[in-house]
Amino acid sequence: MLSVKGLKATVEGKEILRGLDLEVSPGEIHAIMGPNGSGKSTFAHVLSGREGYEVTGGSVRFEGEDLLDLEPEERARKGLFLAFQYPVELPGVNNTYFLKAALNAIRTSRGEPELDAVSFMRLMREKLKVLHLDDSLLKRPVNFGFSGGEKKRNEIFQMALLEPKLAILDETDSGLDIDALRIVSDGVNALCSPERSMIVVTHYQRLLDYIEPDYVHVLANGRIIRSGGKELARELEDRGYGWIAEEAAA
Amino acid sequence: MSDSASNLGALESWLEGGVDQLPGSGVDWLRAERSNALARARVEGIPTTSQEGWRYTGVKGLMEQSFARYAEAVTGVEQEDLEDVLVPGLDAHRVVLVNGRYVAALSTLGALPAGVRAGSLREILQADPDAVAERLTKVAGAGAHVFSALNTAGIDDGFVLLVGRGAAVERPIELIHLSVGMDEPRVAQPRHLIALEEGAQASLIERYVSLGESLYCTNSVLELSLGRQSLLRHQRIQLESPNAFHITGVYLSQGADSRYLGVNVGLGAAWARTDLVVRFAGQHAECDLKGLYLAGDKQVMDHHLDIDHQVPHCASRETFKGVLYGKGRAVFDGRIHVAVDAQKTDAQLSNKNLLLSRNAEIDTKPQLEIHADDVKCSHGTTVGQIDPQMLFYLRSRGISPLLARRMLCLGFAGEIIEALGPEPLREYVAEEVGRRLETAPLD
Repeated sequence: MLSVKGLKATVEGKEILRGLDLEVSPGEIHAIMGPNGSGKSTFAHVLSGREGYEVTGGSVRFEGEDLLDLEPEERARKGLFLAFQYPVELPGVNNTYFLKAALNAIRTSRGEPELDAVSFMRLMREKLKVLHLDDSLLKRPVNFGFSGGEKKRNEIFQMALLEPKLAILDETDSGLDIDALRIVSDGVNALCSPERSMIVVTHYQRLLDYIEPDYVHVLANGRIIRSGGKELARELEDRGYGWIAEEAAA
Repeated sequence: MSDSASNLGALESWLEGGVDQLPGSGVDWLRAERSNALARARVEGIPTTSQEGWRYTGVKGLMEQSFARYAEAVTGVEQEDLEDVLVPGLDAHRVVLVNGRYVAALSTLGALPAGVRAGSLREILQADPDAVAERLTKVAGAGAHVFSALNTAGIDDGFVLLVGRGAAVERPIELIHLSVGMDEPRVAQPRHLIALEEGAQASLIERYVSLGESLYCTNSVLELSLGRQSLLRHQRIQLESPNAFHITGVYLSQGADSRYLGVNVGLGAAWARTDLVVRFAGQHAECDLKGLYLAGDKQVMDHHLDIDHQVPHCASRETFKGVLYGKGRAVFDGRIHVAVDAQKTDAQLSNKNLLLSRNAEIDTKPQLEIHADDVKCSHGTTVGQIDPQMLFYLRSRGISPLLARRMLCLGFAGEIIEALGPEPLREYVAEEVGRRLETAPLD
């Protein structure tokens, strides 16, 4: 589904990714862990097509297609979804209107008809339940004045609605208390399916107690220096990142 | 009309045909007001950019045209022509002016509550000029500029609404200015008088629309007189032809404890100048003025506010937002004056602008002149672009850049559109704003 080969990227002239390789097959959950500044968020942003990140080498193919060639909205329409670490507040933009615009943009690109108001509201109510979200959230401007937990839940809610093929969760656990973390994780787990893949970017092992990855990768200095099963996350929690970096350097 | 002392040049033609045929020409006070106004206009002459109020707004384009006055009422506009310019679903008492003249056949005022008088200014001037003698021309006074003086000099027709003591008009009154293209460029100078007595309430929706995209000029003046404890809601939507010139002077006098809630939306015309002049005449009055303007290629949108706090304990809020794209240009000049005696004045002025292209331009100039020492006054202006983070967030959800921009601009303008009151009106304006943003090129 996703094939990343030798990816190099710079931000403001500074090289952050230095040859990253990653293969993700349908239905797999991959955790990417690593210390601050290792390039985790940069990787998530490069995949989503954010401006300000220059790809200087390597390739990214998504379902056989050159992902780097596509505009951000085209990537989303192909089934890529980024849950933001810092969801953006959009004052004055109604959440329902936003969700409907997004869903219909994606549906239209797939050749499906736009949803009418009634079917759309029904779909939203169904998805709200999964995330334990209050429907008052729908009447408010997107993320505007939302608490940290509400913002993250709104991200997962969007994911539930848009049903991507590949979801990238960028530090979705940051800023969440234990209850919010459980709700968000339950939401994510409910979305797992044999067709849907996920890349979970996180600094802490904590999230992986709730979302069980198939693979764990350690990113340091812009490269994946170690990959393993979920037991690797536990080891990282106990021993920190230092030992791997030393082993990798040796 | 030739007069060697006149500085009016091409503007003389605006009064072509002489004042003798104007309604109420035999009424002494009216004749005196018209002729004083004409004398004032001739002394004042054509504005130049060396005048402070016209520094950023040249009248060159306007002066290149020679607009003639409509001597006769335009006939032949049918109900079905009107359908094209109506706001779907808007429930209102409707008044229609075609090229500045009140058209009874198109107006559907319906039943109004007791104590309310509404109708054509021309008719009132012919039949019962005393009914408006106390206020007509008195609220506007000398006016903000030569164009208001010209309007006074040529007072002909318009809408009069007199709401008696304690009376309330529940349904909004919709005042439609419809312009229809003529063989040669013409100017219409409608004059409106809205007077609310003590405790009266009314809601006025004032709209400017056209059939076709012809070249013409509208120079309207509104006099709004708010008695003690009265309330006027006033929504103004300027959607003139893209080739039109539009000039409006709104003159508002507020009595004690009165409230005025005004929303000004400027979307149309090639060149539009709006002056909003507010005088507080009694204490504890409140004035809330909101505005939204858009300007694209070949458009100039100019708003001047002159808020005069003469008495203590009054509050005014001025919130104007602009979206400029292509080579659009706008001017915002907001002046708040607080006199020595106007203690406890609360005045807040804000002007925010969104520039969607490098070639768009805004000249914004807030001015606070405060002579009292115990007041709460502030002003703030901003000029910015669309936040790229917001744009990316929307695009990352599959939304096209064009739709994303439209959503963000409507979000920016939302506060003003929300204030428009009836939902059909809000939807109508949101639709018109959205449509303009969709056709504007991405920079």
